[in-house]
Amino acid sequence: MKATRVFQLTALALVLVSAVQVGWWLFDQHTYTVEKVRALRAAYAEQAAAAQALLDSGVAAARVQQLLPSIVVSGQHAALAPQLAEALTTEEERRYRQYAWEGSFFLLALAACIAVIARALRAEAQVHEQQNSFLAMVSHQFKTPLASLQLSLETLALRAPGPEAARPLIDRMLADLARMEQMVTQILESARLERGRVDLRSEPLQLAGAVARVVAQLEERARQEQVSISSDIAPTLTVVSDPLALDVVVRNVLENALAAVQGASGGRIELTARATAREVELQVADSGVGFAPGDGAKLFQKFTRLRSGSGYYGTGLGLYIVRRLMELAHGRVSAHSEGLGKGASVRLTWRAAPHPGAAAQPSGQEMRT
Amino acid sequence: MTGASAQVLVVEDDAHLAAGVMENLRAEGYAVSVAPDGEQALAWLAAHSCALVVLDVMLPGADGLSVCRTLRERGNTTPVLFLTARGDPADRVRGLEAGGDDYLAKPFHLQEFLLRVRAILRRWDWYRSASATAATAMLRFGGNEVDFRAFRARSWNGESQELTEKEAMILKVLAEHAGHIVSREDLLERVWGYDVFPSTRTVDNFILRLRKRFEKDPANPQHFLTVWGVGYRFLTEGEP
Repeated sequence: MKATRVFQLTALALVLVSAVQVGWWLFDQHTYTVEKVRALRAAYAEQAAAAQALLDSGVAAARVQQLLPSIVVSGQHAALAPQLAEALTTEEERRYRQYAWEGSFFLLALAACIAVIARALRAEAQVHEQQNSFLAMVSHQFKTPLASLQLSLETLALRAPGPEAARPLIDRMLADLARMEQMVTQILESARLERGRVDLRSEPLQLAGAVARVVAQLEERARQEQVSISSDIAPTLTVVSDPLALDVVVRNVLENALAAVQGASGGRIELTARATAREVELQVADSGVGFAPGDGAKLFQKFTRLRSGSGYYGTGLGLYIVRRLMELAHGRVSAHSEGLGKGASVRLTWRAAPHPGAAAQPSGQEMRT
Repeated sequence: MTGASAQVLVVEDDAHLAAGVMENLRAEGYAVSVAPDGEQALAWLAAHSCALVVLDVMLPGADGLSVCRTLRERGNTTPVLFLTARGDPADRVRGLEAGGDDYLAKPFHLQEFLLRVRAILRRWDWYRSASATAATAMLRFGGNEVDFRAFRARSWNGESQELTEKEAMILKVLAEHAGHIVSREDLLERVWGYDVFPSTRTVDNFILRLRKRFEKDPANPQHFLTVWGVGYRFLTEGEP
């Protein structure tokens, strides 16, 4: 990493020096040409003057012509041969054109080199910064459940509580472990989505069925947290997606909604869907804590946690994964809220399957990123 | 406010950690309140008094460091024990500079946490009881007058001074041993406890601050004398 950087910086310095040298070379050549042309014109003028002097002193025109071939004598008047004057001008212009073309070509090439190197340097710095903040975030995210786990275990060891009193501690520890496990999964998942090639299938899937499966898995938790989940999705709606990706997307969005409602201590989540000409849109609306209207896009960035505390442990990766998966499925996702405390809704949009009846036939088409 | 009945405020956004800390402190006999973020902690502290604040650094909204600074700006001298996921020395120093008394990195050992809580409360118990009577609450030397209970002082030139709790504690330790040598390590142990600071130079910085406040010529001290290689000697009468 460091050696590459040194190499890049050295290359940048060399290219910059080259650019300056090309500039100087252009200036030098231009000045040289101007001087040469001026000297040549002066010499020609002197010849013309000498020819005139010879003519004036009575030397025959033919003799003058012979002595000074560059001069044309007409009657008693000597002047520079017009084709020579013209050639001089042409040569001068040719040189200037040559410098302009060659110079600008070299400068352009060098500028392109500078841009490429500077871009690489900037990209590298950006990656470096992202890695740093990722590490800081991950270490914080892991240390909190770890600290909680250690505290619970040491409490058990120190106070040796009876089974009754130990129960909440054990539940807490299990929840901490689940939280860490979820974090590991999400971090690996997002790393895979970010850099790796992810093979996703692209097949028609019945939306209502996929949603119902996720809702069934979360129902118990929702009931405990006094959250009602209602779902009204026509069974004819089919979307084009990878089955696992669809499951992950719906689960992450629903879990997020659950956390938002839990933060507002109870409420409801409503799932509705509708079809447009070529798309199917699923809306997950919750009566939870909501967010500032301007923060909608931020939610889908990595490690964004608009809200913390109140018992919810977000990794800040769930909705980022949703966004990436939706992008890979050529779909869209957006979040809306009227403001803090006013609930929120997430809209997921997929391509609709061409024929509702074809839902059972997987196309087997593969998407790669 | 001694040991068993002391009130502790736990400021922690993680519900599990907050519950764990609270239960353990309660089991030790402390009365415990919990605040999930900085704003609620400051609101609680504006209305209640307590013996100790256990303060998480990474909080939603205002972080722990700024909560501590705000507290100190309000003139609240309640001791603060920081809990944080970031435990490198620079972070420790930042925490202590913000006015914290001690710093514990997550994940921490329960026994160590309880020990540190006890140590902080013991130091404050000592300070309070050492400043309890009319005679011990005030210190007069070289035209300076220090009120340990109010953390205020009037220096020889009539300027009024607001002391930080650490300055007051150091002054208290030195005054208790007036005329005798107090080592830097002793001062660290009495005022901070444990290995909170990476070096004893911190003590030197505090002594410099005290000289600036109370010496007529800080470069040529008469009351806060350096004993080279050992520590400090405090003289109420000034050097003869």
